Amino acid sequence: MSKARKKKTTAGTGGINMTPMIDIVFQMIIFFVLTVEMERDALDERIQMAMAPHGPLVEERDPRTVTIDLNERGEFSIARVPLSPSQLRSIMRNTVAIHGQSLPVVIRGDQDTMHQHVKNVMDICTQAGLYRISFAAIKQLN
Amino acid sequence: MAHKHKRTRVSLVDAELSMTPMIDIVFQLLIYFILTFEVLDDIAHLDVFRPAPDREQREQMETPNVLQVVIYQDGFTVNERRMQLPAIERTLGRLAAIDPNQTVLIMATAHSRHENLVEILDLCAKVGLRNLSVVSMN
Repeated sequence: MSKARKKKTTAGTGGINMTPMIDIVFQMIIFFVLTVEMERDALDERIQMAMAPHGPLVEERDPRTVTIDLNERGEFSIARVPLSPSQLRSIMRNTVAIHGQSLPVVIRGDQDTMHQHVKNVMDICTQAGLYRISFAAIKQLN
Repeated sequence: MAHKHKRTRVSLVDAELSMTPMIDIVFQLLIYFILTFEVLDDIAHLDVFRPAPDREQREQMETPNVLQVVIYQDGFTVNERRMQLPAIERTLGRLAAIDPNQTVLIMATAHSRHENLVEILDLCAKVGLRNLSVVSMN
């Protein structure tokens, strides 16, 4: 009897224990969900970008990329923090001092914003010495 | 003896993994993700070359042999001739067929809409022109 019991219990623990694996998988799911949300939260979703169906699709993003949101009233923000022109200027200067002038800048301009507002942002960037400027546009609505 | 036997049975049942709560949770998560899922639009980045805001360089840029697209509040001109978008596309296409590295000078007036600038940049991307210089005009 005692022999048979021992054999049975060893057979039970010999199987793969799924619990730690499931724990880890759930941890990973939660991690990915939270980080994706963070990246999305950093952009101002009220901006209606213009359509550019032939533009090059963003595939590989330089992790240093600075994205500047520009709404239709000409107010700009980075990661949803509204900035004044002098604040943006000092931010760009400091960023250039750290990452160099090859830092890419993406301007997410609203389609109804006037060019003079875009010009203000571009001038601040070029004054800081940045030359890789691009405009974000919607390639395809999903 | 009978008591002992029962005990071993119970411990064996405990050792097995009960799938029901796990499946409950997984379905909950699945429903949550489906409900909160939102398809993101495909984004294009239109690269431009922006000359430094300094007078001398701007004057150098305006050599007569570059194609010059001006964006006004109410339309476009190409080399000072008024054109609609399809005609601009043909003109840009001809230019790209000769030399895709040819610089296109895109000048936007202060009150033109950003959408129009993006339209021109999109046409340039479509025909394959790469050297796009965006200049602001008063």
